[in-house]
Amino acid sequence: MIATLTRDKLLFFAVIFVIVQIGLAVFAPLIAGDPFAQIMASRMQGPSADNLLGTDQLGRDVFARILFGYRTSLLTSGTAVLLALLVGGSLGMLAAFYRGWFDRIVMRLMDVLFAFPIMLLAIGIIAVLGPNAFSAAIAIGIVYVPIFARLLRGPSLVICESEYVMGARAIGASDVRIVFSHLLPNLASVILVQASLLLSAAILVEASLSFLGLGAQPPIPSLGQMLAEGRNFLLLSPWPAVFSGFAILFLSFGFNLLGDALRDTLDPRLRGQEQ
Amino acid sequence: MHLKTLGAALALSTCIVAGAQAATLDIAVDSSPAGLDPHLITAFNSVVIVGDTVYEGLTMIAEDLSVQPALASSWEVSDDGLNYTFELEEGVTFHDGSAMTAEDVAASLRRVLSEEVASPLASRISPITDITVVDDTTISLTLDAPFAPILTSLAGIAIVPAEMESDVESLQQTPVGTGPFRFNEWKPNGYVSLVGFDDYRQEGLPKVDEVRFNIVPEAATRQVGLSSGQFEILPGVDPATALQLQAAPSVTVHETRELSYTLVGMNAERAPFDQAVVRRAFNMALDRGEIIQGALFGAGVPAGPLSPALVNWAVDTDSFDCYASDPEAARAMLEEAGIELPIELSMNVLPRQDVKDIAQVVQQQAAEAGFEIELLNQEIGQFVQDWRNSNFDLFASANGGNPDPDGYFYRTFYGGGSTNVFKYDDAEINRLLDEGRTTTDAAARKAAYDAIQNKLACEGPIAHIAYGTLATAVHDSVEGFEINPNRRLTSLKQVSLSE
Amino acid sequence: MIRAGRLLDLAIVLFGVSIIVFAMIRLIPGDAVAIMLGANTEITPERIAELESRIGLDRPLVTQYIDWISGVVTGDLGTSLWTGRPVAAEIGANLWPTLQLTFMSVLVGAVLAVPIGCFMAEARGKTADVLVRIGAIAGLTIPSFWLGIVAIFLLSRWLPGFSSLGYVPFFEDPLENLQRMALPVIVLALPMLANLSRLVRSAMLDALGQDYIRTARSKGAGRRRIVYRHALRNALIPFITSVGVATGYLLGGAIVIEQVFAIPGLGQLVLGAISERNYPLVQATILVMTTAFVMVNFVVDILYAFIDPRITQK
Repeated sequence: MIATLTRDKLLFFAVIFVIVQIGLAVFAPLIAGDPFAQIMASRMQGPSADNLLGTDQLGRDVFARILFGYRTSLLTSGTAVLLALLVGGSLGMLAAFYRGWFDRIVMRLMDVLFAFPIMLLAIGIIAVLGPNAFSAAIAIGIVYVPIFARLLRGPSLVICESEYVMGARAIGASDVRIVFSHLLPNLASVILVQASLLLSAAILVEASLSFLGLGAQPPIPSLGQMLAEGRNFLLLSPWPAVFSGFAILFLSFGFNLLGDALRDTLDPRLRGQEQ
Repeated sequence: MHLKTLGAALALSTCIVAGAQAATLDIAVDSSPAGLDPHLITAFNSVVIVGDTVYEGLTMIAEDLSVQPALASSWEVSDDGLNYTFELEEGVTFHDGSAMTAEDVAASLRRVLSEEVASPLASRISPITDITVVDDTTISLTLDAPFAPILTSLAGIAIVPAEMESDVESLQQTPVGTGPFRFNEWKPNGYVSLVGFDDYRQEGLPKVDEVRFNIVPEAATRQVGLSSGQFEILPGVDPATALQLQAAPSVTVHETRELSYTLVGMNAERAPFDQAVVRRAFNMALDRGEIIQGALFGAGVPAGPLSPALVNWAVDTDSFDCYASDPEAARAMLEEAGIELPIELSMNVLPRQDVKDIAQVVQQQAAEAGFEIELLNQEIGQFVQDWRNSNFDLFASANGGNPDPDGYFYRTFYGGGSTNVFKYDDAEINRLLDEGRTTTDAAARKAAYDAIQNKLACEGPIAHIAYGTLATAVHDSVEGFEINPNRRLTSLKQVSLSE
Repeated sequence: MIRAGRLLDLAIVLFGVSIIVFAMIRLIPGDAVAIMLGANTEITPERIAELESRIGLDRPLVTQYIDWISGVVTGDLGTSLWTGRPVAAEIGANLWPTLQLTFMSVLVGAVLAVPIGCFMAEARGKTADVLVRIGAIAGLTIPSFWLGIVAIFLLSRWLPGFSSLGYVPFFEDPLENLQRMALPVIVLALPMLANLSRLVRSAMLDALGQDYIRTARSKGAGRRRIVYRHALRNALIPFITSVGVATGYLLGGAIVIEQVFAIPGLGQLVLGAISERNYPLVQATILVMTTAFVMVNFVVDILYAFIDPRITQK
């Protein structure tokens, strides 16, 4: 009983933590000042009343850039995970649904993509598309496609072979109906948990790519890029590098905790065990 | 088989050197060289390793940018300026033990000029029409027209053994020259090691036994490595790192004015930069002092068309009227010329931190005068391709400089010039450039280049932004280091290590 | 029978990888010749044509691919466009740092994960559990390159004599080698440790809930004995899967960490090769990495069979 409460508290905390950060990103223009305004007279300043987290090498407000960086990070990673879910998830479910040669071709293709080192595949795709936030979203999305395809194919196979889907088929339910009324509802919790965890990972990958100069480009603020710029003058002013690092950590941490807490709450096996 | 023997010999020599408690100088550079053939690879990360260390030219550029004798001990120029006769140093040997003769010099020049080798250096000596070996130590060059910068250009042409004339592979991996250091080992992505050449033409030099160019991509990593004594020299330190290292104990930061500069290029073929008035207005919109403060951490001076390091040539930037930052006047000028504001443009940006920062400051400054610029930060390949195809409105970049005005101006601003990607073609500039190139009278040459600078500064296709400060950070255990504005480590042979 | 099928799958995957790599590197705008000639140098069409034919880019793409892949099959990976050295030699030089980094990180992560995971499972449902868990997630999500940069700077302040950067071959100077590997290994092992210890924990919880453990427990067997004998055995399979995946990924080069710590590994090699458009080098390196990845997974599958013979019967 106490354990259940603790776990729910954790979920509660995770949800609040994530919502606060999303809120900061969404309402960034209302909360913080202009992330683009350069004031050469106040470059590389420490935290003060005017600049809550100090200023960067061009005299821009670090707090504003971090909040707008949250936007870049969430938009890029969110788009990537959504893309991976739509493409990879559909491929996985369809492969399970139709089986046979379609299944075999799709899953071999997934194996090929999966065999690439994550960062290298992303770097290659971005090199082809040109370095910007949109390319980064596409690249991370493609990298994660096989993860969703593999994740959803297994349970889909089980569900497709289950008696009630067999039954539904026997009474002539259409393929579309089976997918939407039987497959998806049963996979929702798996999808939710995985999407949250992957979002957490995508935020880190996006930050690494931006760190290498392959994500959103200046003057658009992004967390990895702030970190990369800030490390160049770490001894002169550590604030941009330190705060942007924490920002990446908090954002990624929030979604990972959320996914983790969700899994505990939604996973029927663990739930059953506690009763 | 042959390679193995060579490898064993190298390994053996390394052991001997190591056994004698060798003094090794560790230098940290940011990227691997793309090859070590001096006629094929002209990028700074290759030149810094082999230029003036493994290789030497007929002449050399000293720390004060004057032309000094190197492999040629003296030379004579005919009165019409068309013929140069060089006397070579005697008793010079290559690292492979063979003697260097006039035949090797001739072969090296032919190698650079040949179509098959396709050396990017070819245009620097393209006026040479005839190469004649007079005897073993005398060589004579004939030009198609007087070409004053030839002595400067020859400093950049490494002399290699004659048998390399049509070989485009060997030197890339195993450089062979006449310089104070000979090639020892190249560990890809690890280091390039050079060892002192015992038969170097100058007795008693070099003073250290081994020089290692360690490849360390991270600036922060290089910085910590120098402070902790792991590396002794960091050539070409960026301004932020230089500022931080100045405060570090037992590190000295040597500084000099760079020959290379940052710039914003304009496409003189596309509207609106096809109009001189728009180019002038753009220059007026910029506040170069602020750009230097923000993007270069204060390390630099406003740039005119020539580096102030060229003390005999450069016109003081204060005399350019368009350099007094005045966005309001720029805007008024554009409106008067009937140009609709705001002007929407894109700017390609070279992927380098200082250039990215410059682009951001320029974007904000130009906005005040009515230029609405979108920044396109590109991958290097895309940037080069667009540059070559003149596919840009504006671009922000950095250029290497040249110790002679003609070396830079002619190919960049002459109509149809080989690096005139701006498609700039101005009759007056063309005429003055021809004059500067063919006149041997110093005063007349100076007058021509003054006029060129005055015109180009405000209405040329390049807004010259800043000459940075070339900083080289040196650990205090190093003695005798002198910085050279052309970025080469010319003084390495005189350097010694104290413990 | 099954093995033969698996091997065929491997071959198909590697064939697919080879095509993707070959096509991708050529789709990047700005080809090898453009990069070689660079910006701000003089270019004539003759010089471009000359360079293209010298490095073989003037041939049809299909010919280029067939030449390359038939070379690979016979063990010839080609030569680097820039340096003219054999690609195999360049990869060989960069292989050891990556291998060492991979195996040391995996070892540190996996060895520490077992006791930590067991501890977490035992302390389940208490405040300590929540704290340990938050710590684990933080370990998993802390940006490793940030951690690396901060660690380098802090160390340079506190221990100025400690050289933490670059790579010294183990057999040249073992102590120096281990000293320089310490920080990158810790930074890379941390997320793996976090991941694996969570995995051990959840597998333990899983096992603790199984009927036979409850039976064993009700029969009065020692607590410690139950946990270790029954639960750990069941945790082994997901554990090995994760170790396998992590090994595979690390073999692909920890690009950003290699960059931060100046380690000349495969990641650095391929990153440099991509920006130089060094086609043969990029192709071969990525092929080597993916082969390693696929082979690790293959070995993991075989390990399953040893641990749990039922799996092969399925």
